Amino acid sequence: MKPFFILTFCVFFVFGSRAQEKTILKGSPAPEIALAQPDGKILKLSSLKGALVLVDFWATWCAPCVQEQPELKKIYQQYDKYVKEGKFQILGVSLDRKKEHWEKGIERLKITWPQISDLKYWTSPVADAYGIEGLPFNVIVDEKGNIAAINIHGTQLVNFIDRHLKNKK
Amino acid sequence: MRFRLYHLLTLLLLSGNIACGQSKEPWTQEQLLPTATLAERINNNQTDNLLILNIGPDAVIKGSVDIGPAQEKESISKLKAYLKDVKKDKEVVIYCGCCPFSRCPNIRPAFRTLTEMGFKNARLLDIPQNIRVDWISKKYPLAD
Repeated sequence: MKPFFILTFCVFFVFGSRAQEKTILKGSPAPEIALAQPDGKILKLSSLKGALVLVDFWATWCAPCVQEQPELKKIYQQYDKYVKEGKFQILGVSLDRKKEHWEKGIERLKITWPQISDLKYWTSPVADAYGIEGLPFNVIVDEKGNIAAINIHGTQLVNFIDRHLKNKK
Repeated sequence: MRFRLYHLLTLLLLSGNIACGQSKEPWTQEQLLPTATLAERINNNQTDNLLILNIGPDAVIKGSVDIGPAQEKESISKLKAYLKDVKKDKEVVIYCGCCPFSRCPNIRPAFRTLTEMGFKNARLLDIPQNIRVDWISKKYPLAD
């Protein structure tokens, strides 16, 4: 009986964890992202070091990503004080293909946090670097630039940010 | 007795939903084209009688024509205009690959258009997850 459980565990571990955590791990340094904002200026993830950063990978063609934006907006407003103190930031990384769609999406959804993209859709090297196999996808990067959480959403996401920021006080 | 009746009703509802879900799709299982088959045909230059049309955000596949996301009216007009003079027995493969089929807003309106236009060999590229996982990561041929 025991070998059966061990085998089941191994199968689950190998195949179950295969999806998103192939190339990034909690506690490891977040791969650098240096992409253009809509105005063309390059913004680097590493320039936000010192703040807890929620990196939100999204696209205007991804319906669940679009649906999640109002929730992110609530988080951004709720922790506005931390944003102003440089302790928290959201960084939107878009996998859009057309600049026009990307810009209209930002405008329509009234997104106020920084947005970057290489407009390369699923061929973006960022998707490779983070092993993204589906959207929506996010990572939380801590003050030192290490990955603190991978792909958490909803209440889990809010609780994580809240706990982290309040513990840092 | 009431318990059995409840279960029977639940079963009937579930089977009804499943049946409806299946019949709702505008394509049949036979009209799905495996990615490996298309990749092999492109690599072997066996695409003479084949039209590959992107009806999603980007024409990632080598040799495919960029129509644009079929959820937009302009793209459907473009698709109709592009296919206006194409013979109805031509094999036409459409693909999106933004997201899994269940969430894709483009494949259904595009496939319905092909059917309405009378294309007898309309195919939908079978991309269960997305174009990154099911095409790019497999090193299948990409557009330049």
